[in-house]
Order: sequence, then structure tokens, then C-alpha cells
Amino acid sequence: MVGNRTLLEVKSLRTYFPLDEGLVRAVDGADFKLVSGKTLGVVGESGCGKSVTAQSILRIVPRPGKIVEGELLFHRYSKEGDAFSMADVVDLAKLDPRGRDIRRIRGNEIAMVFQEPMTSLSPVHTMGNQIAEVILLHQKVSQAEARERTLDILHRVGMPKPSQTIDSYPFELSGGMRQRGMIAMALSCHPSLLIADEPTTALDVTTEAQILDLMRELQEELGMAIMYITHDLGVVAEMAELAVVMYLGKVVERADVDSLFYNPHHPYTKALLRSIPRITEDRRKWLEAIRGMVPDPYNMPSGCPFHPRCVSAQKQCEEVDPPWVEVEPEHWARCVLYADGTTETGQG
Amino acid sequence: MSERQDQRLLEVNGLKKYFPIKRGFLRKTVGYVKAVDDVSLYVNEGETLGLVGESGCGKTTSGRCILRAIEPTEGEILFKDPNVGWVNVRELEEDALTSVRQHMQIIFQDPYSSLNPRMTLLQLVGEPLVINHGMKGKALEDRVAELLRAVGLRPEYLRRYPHAFSGGQRQRIGVARALALNPRFIVCDEPVSALDVSVQAQILNLLRELQEDFSLTYLFVAHDLSVVRHLADRVAVMYVGKLVEMGETGEIYPSPRHPYTEALMSAVPRPDPRAAKDRIVLEGEVADPANPPGGCYFHPRCRYAKPVCSVESPVLREITEAHFVSCHRAEELSLTGVA
Repeated sequence: MVGNRTLLEVKSLRTYFPLDEGLVRAVDGADFKLVSGKTLGVVGESGCGKSVTAQSILRIVPRPGKIVEGELLFHRYSKEGDAFSMADVVDLAKLDPRGRDIRRIRGNEIAMVFQEPMTSLSPVHTMGNQIAEVILLHQKVSQAEARERTLDILHRVGMPKPSQTIDSYPFELSGGMRQRGMIAMALSCHPSLLIADEPTTALDVTTEAQILDLMRELQEELGMAIMYITHDLGVVAEMAELAVVMYLGKVVERADVDSLFYNPHHPYTKALLRSIPRITEDRRKWLEAIRGMVPDPYNMPSGCPFHPRCVSAQKQCEEVDPPWVEVEPEHWARCVLYADGTTETGQG
Repeated sequence: MSERQDQRLLEVNGLKKYFPIKRGFLRKTVGYVKAVDDVSLYVNEGETLGLVGESGCGKTTSGRCILRAIEPTEGEILFKDPNVGWVNVRELEEDALTSVRQHMQIIFQDPYSSLNPRMTLLQLVGEPLVINHGMKGKALEDRVAELLRAVGLRPEYLRRYPHAFSGGQRQRIGVARALALNPRFIVCDEPVSALDVSVQAQILNLLRELQEDFSLTYLFVAHDLSVVRHLADRVAVMYVGKLVEMGETGEIYPSPRHPYTEALMSAVPRPDPRAAKDRIVLEGEVADPANPPGGCYFHPRCRYAKPVCSVESPVLREITEAHFVSCHRAEELSLTGVA
């Protein structure tokens, strides 16, 4: 499949949780785009809102969470021969989360792979039945046909002995096999967008390598867009073409992967890249740690949420909400350092 | 005792831990999970030995057997006690074991489940002092405050409970508790894997700092090879209960000698978009420790396997000075490491 079509535009998304302890701004300003055939890496530490962003797109934010602002423009295309033409645009944020429209999209056009396959699969249904359920729900096929397709997709994701595993329960499978099953389920209806929320975090490195390879292969074959959520900068570097970095609910930087790693602008991104130990580097005496810790969601710092830990913090950072600036073409950062539009180089 | 052994603090020989598999009404033992299967290793004084491997390879079990937190099935655990000299930890009686354990401590992986939520920091960190030295009152408080300062926590936190602290701070509490009795040897069981990336570096720096200040020796159990390269002087790699390679960090990473070590290192995603992406992807799954394949446990996934590998199990041998490998083809293969 050729041509990069915009599939989803996320515009100033805000998802808040009004809790007894206070208002938690889980996502507080996320802007990015997903393009067919490309992978967008979403990086951040726990509590930065990366998973809630994914849940907002699918409209499965747990109660009492709510999208309070923003647009989620999902573009649909119709295909004639090899040419795609834009058919319509739906704002997912405006749909009823329990309505028919979103249910037609969820699992069909936009699918998701979850982090822990053991807890997100049903323990009392066979792998095959769980996958066939998705197919039967979204496509007009018979039971037998659905099983046929299930077998086919299990083959495709490299499940060992698919004719046996189709009738296995998740507990009978290893972690890697379960994750293959999850991916098979997500891909069973040929989604145009796949959201993968830390799909390899619970797996060992050698299994992770298998799953990452598989996802890349399938992307090439099916041409879907992948939104890959992870805390592992290594995985982003390997999988993604574009990346966004999130901190405390805000997207703080957005760029193509190469400039993000080689020319980072936001102080958080810079600090994060400097603090990780690297396998290619010999013993170093000290790591450059980021001072302090991630604040708890009820006591968010004012102004820029990163300012208490930031080495370049200035007086104004405590008060001013930092602007979202295009520091270089297609490279955005949310920091007062770039407020006047100057493009300093990312050394520091 | 040879000169080489003089530098050692701990020597483990032929350590085994078999967990019985019980089935049926009478709970008959039908087999064994060989979690640790004939592991021999040593740790020199003042160094960090990284013990790496994938989940289920027996690295945590090994660490716990060394402290006798779980009883090993077989093997010898020699530890150089600063007061009485070399002792075999495996054969010690209750009293003697308690006294040796003052010098051998552990830091756990999960700082959320390893701290009793109903105890204050004073109780948590002070417990070993109360049990072993009968400390109390002001003396105890002073010592705990000193420990908290050593790990970068404020001494005013004495009366707080663990829930008031973040993951990184809790791990600091765990470290303070391990330090309470001035140990010489600490098993660090995945101490940073439950922490956020930005906090990991702080704890790694803390461990390094304490090692210098208190001349500690670490057995650092981890699955993250980048962390181990940063921290360890030597590395030991395990696969399905067996030690497959052990040697200097500076030697194993750039030039591994066991095919599993090569594959493991190549699989680690690099935080560098310009890095070459030609990793080795292992086929199949990790062998089942209850029913391992014949010969070398790694042979079904090994791309260099020869007929001999499926028949004969390789023994760990020293191929160059202080570099141990258990592979039939270790000498002839030239493997790729990470630069």
C-alpha cells in the first residue's frame, strides 16, 4: 500500500478524572497525528497519561474519566482499485461511548493490543472463540467461516501449531504465545489503526524481539498505522518513525524519531535520554539522574509540570503555561525556552 | 588457599534447587522443576557480579538459595565471614546462620510488596537492629536516622508509613534496611526494574555510592542488560537453571563466547534510531525446566548447534583467564557482541 494518509488527528485532547481527592488531569493537552503505514511511538513514565490517551481514542476511558476538550478526527477512506479517496471524517470525541457508531469502529477499524495478555484475555474461553467473536461481531460471516479466518490469522501471527492452539485456553499458552493471540485478535478485522499499549513490557527480551519483528512485518503487509505506547526508549527507537514524549498528561515534544534522539529540545526529553544506561556503553561512574520524582496527580506543580525537576527552569516556569512551539520544521516542543520562536540547538 | 581464592568473598559450588511437582490425591512427586541446576560461581570482595537471564532461568532462586532464604537441594555455599573466616552457609545451624546473615542481606524487587504497610520507617529499618543487637530508644532512633540519611531520605520521616512514599523512595527504605547491620554482601534482586526510568538512575547511583562508602559486595540479579553493563564488574548469564557464561563485563559484552549470550544481547532494543537493526531473533520458546531437552538446553534454539549439542551436555569450563563458558563450540565460534 502506498501513500501516507492521515488516519487520526488528535487535537488538544484533555481527559480529566473528577475524583474525591481532586481533579486529575490525566491527559492535559495532547496533539499528534497518525499516518497509515507509520508507527508513532508514545513515550513517558507511569502516570504521564499515555494509556489514557489510547483509552480516549477508543472511548473506553474508565469512569469517572471524561474527555472534556479536544477533537479526535478519524479519517475514513474508500478504496477504488489502488487509489484511496477520503470518504468521511468522524470526531470520535463526540460519539456516545456506548453507542452503535463507536462500537462499529472499536475492534474493527481501530483495534488495541493490551499490556498484560493474561488479564486482558478471558480465562474461560478458548483463544479461537475469543478471536472468532470479534470477526462474527464485525463481519457478516458464518461460524465456520469465522473459524477458518481465525485459523488463518493465527497462522499469520506465527502462532506455533495453530490448529491446536485455536482450541487452547490462554492459561495453556506461554506469555509470547498469548501476546501473539492478542495481536491476532486485534488484526482479525484488518484495522486501519492499531493501538499497542506496552505490548512487550511483560515479556522477556528474546520474546520481545520476536513480537517486535512480527508487528513490523504485519505493518508492512497490511499497511496499518500503529500507535505504540511504551516507557522504553529503546523500543521507540527501533519501532517508530515518529514519536511524542509525554510528561504529566502533556505532550512535551513531538518529532521524527531521528531528531528526537539526536536533537532533542525539551529539557525533559534531554534529561531522560541522558539518564538511561546504555548497553553499548562501558562502565560509567555516574548516571545523570533527573532530580526529584514524578509528583502525585493531586499535587501538580503550577505552570510547567516539569519545572521542579528541570535544570533549565526559570522564574516564569512556575507561572506560565509553556507554549507549544514548532522549534524546527515538524519538530514541536512545549517549553518557554522556545517561546520567542528561536531555534536553539538541542545541546545541553 | 590459593591467591585467587583470597580475593573471594563468596564461592558457590554445584548449587541445585529442585522443586517437586506433585500430582494426584496422594500428592505423589511425579517430577522436578530444576530451577537451579548445578550452578557454580564466585564473587570477589568489593565487586559487583551481575546475574542475568530471562524470567524462569533461576537467577532469583539462586540469589535466595545463597542466603538460604530458601533451602537449596544440593551444593556448597562458601562465605568469608569477617569474624570466623570461611563457612559453608548451607550447613550452618540456626544460631550460626543468624550471625552470618548479619553480613549477607537482600534488597527486593518490588518496593510496594516488600515493606509492611503497618510498620513505620523506624520499625522497618530498625527491626534488624532490634533483633540482632537488642537496640532501643534513642540509640535505635539515631542509628535509623543515620541510615535514612545515608540513602538520601530525611530523618524526620522516621514515624511515617511506607504508603506516604513514592516507588523510588520506598526502594531507598529497602536499601536502608539492608544496610542496617553493616553487611559485607548484598543480593540486589532486580532493585530497579519496578521503578520509572527517571528514578532508576537515582537508585543505581545510590547503590554505586554506598558500595564505595561501605565497601560492599553485590550480587546484582537483573534482566536488564544495559543496567548490568553499567553497574557490574563481572557478569554471569543463566539459561534454564544453568550457568552458561561468566566473565568480566568488559570482555563478555564486546565478545561473548556463548551463543545464548550473543542472542540475548542482540535482542535488547537500542535507544538509538541510527543503530543497525540486524538483531538475532531466537526461534521458539525458552525450554521447560521441568522437562528440558537433552544435551545442551539451548540447542533447539541455537543457530550454531551441531549433532553433539543434542546429545552431550556441555560443562562450564574456563576458556581464557576468568572467562567461563559452557558450550561445545566455544573455541571455534566467533560471535558478535555489542561494541
